[in-house]
Amino acid sequence: MSNDIFFFAEFAAGAPERSALELAAGAAELAAAGGGDTVALAYGAGAADGAAGLGAHGVARAVVLGDDAPAITFGPAAAVAVADAAPLAVLAPATPNGRDLAAALVGIGDLPAFGPVRAVRIADGAVESEQATLQGSVITTSRPVEGAPQPSVVLVLANTFTPVEGGSGSATVSQAAASDHPFTRATVAEHHEAEARVVNLEEATIIVAGGRGVGSAEGFEQLNELAAALGGAVGASRAAADAGWVPYQLQIGQTGKVVKPSLYLSAGISGAIQHRVGMQTAEHVVAINKDPDAPIGEFADLFVVGDLFQIVPKLTDEIRRRKG
Amino acid sequence: MKIVVCIKQVPATTAEKRYTDDLRLDRASTEAIINPLDEYAIEQALRLLDAGSVDAVSYLSMGPDQAAEALRRALAMGGDDATLVTDSALAGADEWTTATVLAAALDKLAPDIALMGMASDDARGSLVPGAVAAKRHLPLLSYGSELAIGEGTARVRRLSGTGFDWIEAPLPVVATVTDQVGEPRYASLKGIMAAKRKPMETWSLADLGLGEGDLRGGALTRVTDARPPEAKPPTERIENVGADEAATQIADWLASRKLI
Repeated sequence: MSNDIFFFAEFAAGAPERSALELAAGAAELAAAGGGDTVALAYGAGAADGAAGLGAHGVARAVVLGDDAPAITFGPAAAVAVADAAPLAVLAPATPNGRDLAAALVGIGDLPAFGPVRAVRIADGAVESEQATLQGSVITTSRPVEGAPQPSVVLVLANTFTPVEGGSGSATVSQAAASDHPFTRATVAEHHEAEARVVNLEEATIIVAGGRGVGSAEGFEQLNELAAALGGAVGASRAAADAGWVPYQLQIGQTGKVVKPSLYLSAGISGAIQHRVGMQTAEHVVAINKDPDAPIGEFADLFVVGDLFQIVPKLTDEIRRRKG
Repeated sequence: MKIVVCIKQVPATTAEKRYTDDLRLDRASTEAIINPLDEYAIEQALRLLDAGSVDAVSYLSMGPDQAAEALRRALAMGGDDATLVTDSALAGADEWTTATVLAAALDKLAPDIALMGMASDDARGSLVPGAVAAKRHLPLLSYGSELAIGEGTARVRRLSGTGFDWIEAPLPVVATVTDQVGEPRYASLKGIMAAKRKPMETWSLADLGLGEGDLRGGALTRVTDARPPEAKPPTERIENVGADEAATQIADWLASRKLI
């Protein structure tokens, strides 16, 4: 057993996703606390070429699991790498791919599972994690039981850790052993690209989100302009995605993305609990809604009662004017 | 071709939740429902049954005695029979425990597809389906906005970062579906009456051949503290002003927090 901290690092087009850099920062922090190394389990398009570059983010070693295939197919190789090293913890992003890989480790290795967590630390030689459960109505702290196998597998919400920029160095890269586990039998039978480029909302620090009240795909044009003025990205509630006004990749909430931007500005979103669990940890929440009793008014920091079609264009102009 | 849909009984999403003195959820006083995201798995299974792609739909749940109510409600939507795994040793079960028990029950039921919702409403870890697949040595097809059955294979339509993929694996599989499969049907009065006569079995851990040693004391994790969330500062409101004034006040608010 070691005090190393492993983390899953997803790559796209040869570069680490933001989640990988956040978890690198988190893993380095926990590894420093326990006196171990930070080790990446790298996968995705271009992971083999990009893995060494994780050294600039405090990573000592990187194990390359594989290139472009369904994430779950890398689970068995990750389980072997983890079993060999028996680190203190493995961090995984709380995304669909991250959850598939975490679940593979838990099931293959019979390991304790935590999360999705909003904080994680090492206390008395074990992982201690903090989680909001029951739609955020209670905050629980959890630990592995005495004698539980190592590592603890921890799902980590986006923006729990802040990437450390400006480092240098190179990680030692090794290739994971091949596996014939049944998980490797999942294959991509068809691949469909969207017509327009879709932003990764988990990387946005400012999000302008629209809901049912936006009324149409054209209505989202106004939100696009406001987002551009603020330097942010556009997101949506499930109602807006179901209506086809935006692609599902932009859906925020229980069954979409869970985001934690510094500013979350919503327009025409009532704020049902299923939406709230996707954005309630945003640092600042501004909500524009014509219904003075909309639930979002209860948890927004600033609640603006009014017609979004009148306010949003004027706000866009005002922000452009102030930014010069 | 047989599907077993795994469902979980959870506290109602919008129910007033009460806590005991030690901050555990007072489940006895909280209305319980089928985990809303499991209803989409039920709907997907019943659509495949309606289309003739599968021959039987069964349900499986692990929980206290009252979880039988959730299974009856599922049977009222459609399907053939249900199994409840209940045992006093399962109080405090975590995701690993749940996966271990469901995997043993599914080994007995031996479906072509074990189907689950994408997450549970109360805990939201989403790790149980993949851990069940690992324990049963079966492929996992997760986060499908649609599940389809082919010649000796199953496939799910899954959102990717830039579009969507169809992911395929040979049967048998463990699969999960999202809330994009289509709105779950309501149970009809006829369905509710019919459900009362559908077979439901109850299994203990002994029936699954699981002993105390297999479950390592019941869980690999423990909750050491539970507390209410931090109080949020009160909401500031802008209302009864014109759009120009509202825009100015919002911009002022953003500027004072260095957000513009």
